[in-house]
Amino acid sequence: MKRRDFLKSGMAGSAAFALSGLTLLSSGKAQAAISNISFTAEGSNKTMVDGSSIFVWQFNDANGTGPGALTSGLVVNEGDSVNVTVTNNLDRAINFVIPGVMANTPSVSPGASRTYSFTAPAAGSYFYTDGVNGEIGRAMGLAGPMVVMPADGSNALYSGGPAFDRQYTLFMSDLDDRLNAAVANGGSYDMNNYEPNYFFANGLSFPDTTTGGDTLVSMGVGEDVAIRFMNGGCVTYPMHFHGYHVNVASRNRVVETSVIEKDSVQVELSSCVDVILPVAQAGVFPLHTHYVPGVTAGGVYPNGGLILMSAS
Amino acid sequence: MFELKELKMNHRGGRGGGGGGSTGGGTTGGTTTGGRTFSFLRAPASLNVNMNGSAIMADGASIRTWTFGNGFNDDRSVPSPVIEANQGENVEVTLNSMMEHTIHLHGLDVDQQNDGVPATSFAVGGEGNSNTYTYQFVAPHAGTYMYHCHVDTHKHFEMGMFGTIIIRPTDGSTNRVWDNGPTFDKEYIWQLTTFDTTWHSGGGMGGAVLQRYRPNYFMINGKDGANAVNDSTTAITGAAGQKVLIRINGTSYLPGIVRMGGLQFEVIASDGRPLAVPYITTEQLCCAGERYDILVTMPASGQYSASIEYRDIRNGKALGTASTTLTVV
Repeated sequence: MKRRDFLKSGMAGSAAFALSGLTLLSSGKAQAAISNISFTAEGSNKTMVDGSSIFVWQFNDANGTGPGALTSGLVVNEGDSVNVTVTNNLDRAINFVIPGVMANTPSVSPGASRTYSFTAPAAGSYFYTDGVNGEIGRAMGLAGPMVVMPADGSNALYSGGPAFDRQYTLFMSDLDDRLNAAVANGGSYDMNNYEPNYFFANGLSFPDTTTGGDTLVSMGVGEDVAIRFMNGGCVTYPMHFHGYHVNVASRNRVVETSVIEKDSVQVELSSCVDVILPVAQAGVFPLHTHYVPGVTAGGVYPNGGLILMSAS
Repeated sequence: MFELKELKMNHRGGRGGGGGGSTGGGTTGGTTTGGRTFSFLRAPASLNVNMNGSAIMADGASIRTWTFGNGFNDDRSVPSPVIEANQGENVEVTLNSMMEHTIHLHGLDVDQQNDGVPATSFAVGGEGNSNTYTYQFVAPHAGTYMYHCHVDTHKHFEMGMFGTIIIRPTDGSTNRVWDNGPTFDKEYIWQLTTFDTTWHSGGGMGGAVLQRYRPNYFMINGKDGANAVNDSTTAITGAAGQKVLIRINGTSYLPGIVRMGGLQFEVIASDGRPLAVPYITTEQLCCAGERYDILVTMPASGQYSASIEYRDIRNGKALGTASTTLTVV
C-alpha cells in the first residue's frame, strides 16, 4: 500500500539535521481522531552542509529533533481534533498559527506552555509558523509543513481531487546568516536587509537531500506522484523539474484551471502549491529552484535547495 | 538506486582557465524568414563556447560574458543563439568545449543521459572528459524552451550561457504556434536578462564567493536602455491588426512582469504546453525557468512603451525596468 510507504518514509530516521522528520499524528484511519502533539520551541546551533555553525530556532517534537532550520511536520486527517502544546524555551514570546486555519492566537511567554486546538481543515497543504515575531520567526526556523488528508481516507490531494500513488512534501526555506548571528548575540536585525545565503528543502541542503528519507523523491515509472511545495522561507521559489512536466493541481488549496502543465512552478511567499507528477520515464533528475543562487550554501554550488527525483 | 558523480562541493566560485574552442560548425538558418525577427540555428546545431565575450550596456559599460556560439554572425552576444527544430524530429545539438560545460535542455524532458547535469550524467570538456558530445532528443511538443549550461550553474548561467529553443509544429510551419494551434504574423523572443556585474568581474574567473545576487543591469534580450529600443529583435513593430507572437523566456534569476504598454494580450501557452484555458491580460509575471507565449493584436495606430519590470524575490519590490517600444507601422 502506497500510504504505508508514505508513513514509513515519514517516520524514517532520527539523525538530527539529516532527515526531514515529518511527525505523523494520525494512523491514517478515515474516522476523525484526536491528535495531541507537543512542540518545544528551542534555539540551537546547527552545522550547515559547508561546515559552518549557525544558530537557529525550531519547533521540536518529542519524537526527535527536526532538521536544520527547520522543522517538524504534521500530517492529520480532515476533521481531526488537533491539540498542539507549545513549550517556549526561547528568549521571547511566540505563538502558533496556521495561515488559512487560525491566526492571531494568544502568545506563549518564555518558559511557559500553551495548547493550541483546532479542527483539521479541508484536505490540502498548509504550513504552521510563529505569528508574533513576524518574518524573523520564520527566517529563524519557526515553521513547518502540515498535510491534511481527505476524511474518506483516499490517497487524493483533496476529497474528489487528483489521486496519487505516492506523495512527497517539499518544504522550502532559507536563512540569512547575518540575521541568525544577530539573534544569537542578542542584537536586532532589520528584515528589510534580509538576503538569504543558505537554502533548504525539508531543512536539508544538497547533497543531504539525497541520502534517503522523505526528501529523495523515489518514484515508479507509470505512477502519479503528488508533490506538495510549501514556502516556509522569506523568498519566492521557482521550482524547476528536470525530465518531467507536472500538472499543477492547486495553489493555496484553490484548484488551478488555466496554467496546468508546467516544468517550472512558482511557489510564492507563504504559499503552498500541489502538483501531480506523471512519471513518464526512468532516471535520476534534479528538481531545484531556478533562482540558481538558491542552489548554494554560503555561496557554494551545488548545495541548497536541490532535490533529486529517482524513477525506476 | 544511483550514484552521484563527483560533486566538487568544496571549490568556491569559478575555476580558473581560458576560453573554449574555436568558432565554426553548425547549420545556420540565419535569415529572418517567416514571421521571425531574429536569427536562428536550425538543428542539428553545433555550439562552441566563447569565454571572452562582452556585452555592451547602454551606459557604455562592457560586461564580460561567456556564451554558446557557432561562429555565425548572430545578432546577439547574450543570450546565446536561438535553436530551432520541428516537433517529432530527432534533434541533435553538439557541444564542443575544452573547458567544463554542459547543455541542459530545459523543459524538453530529455532522458538522463542527455540532461546535461554533471552530477547525474557528465560534463563536456575539462580533465578526464570528452571535448565533444552530441545531445539527442525527440522534440515532444511545439513551444518555447530554454537551454543553458548546468556546470556551476549559478555562475555560468549568469555569465550568459543560455538561449532559447523553439520547437515548431510538426510541419515546420513558421506562422502557427503548434499543430492546429493559433497563427501569427510576426514573432519575437523576449529573454529576461539581468546582470550582477560583481559576478562577472575578473573576467568571470577568480575565487569570489558568489552569494547574495544583486543585479545592477536590467535588460530584454541582453539589451538595456536605448539599446533595447534600437534592437530590431526586441522593439516590436507591426501593422494594424497584425498578430504578434512574443515568446517570453524566464532566463533571469529574477521574476519579471511583462507589459505591452497597457495593451491587452492573450496568454496562450506556458512551458511548451498550450494553456488549458487561455486568458486575456495586460501584464504577465514570468518567473525564473518559466516560459509564456503571448499574442498581441497590433492596435490601429500609435507607439507604446513595452517593458519588463524585475521584482525582488524577497518582497516583490521593483528593482529595475527594461523598456522598449511597441509601434504600429
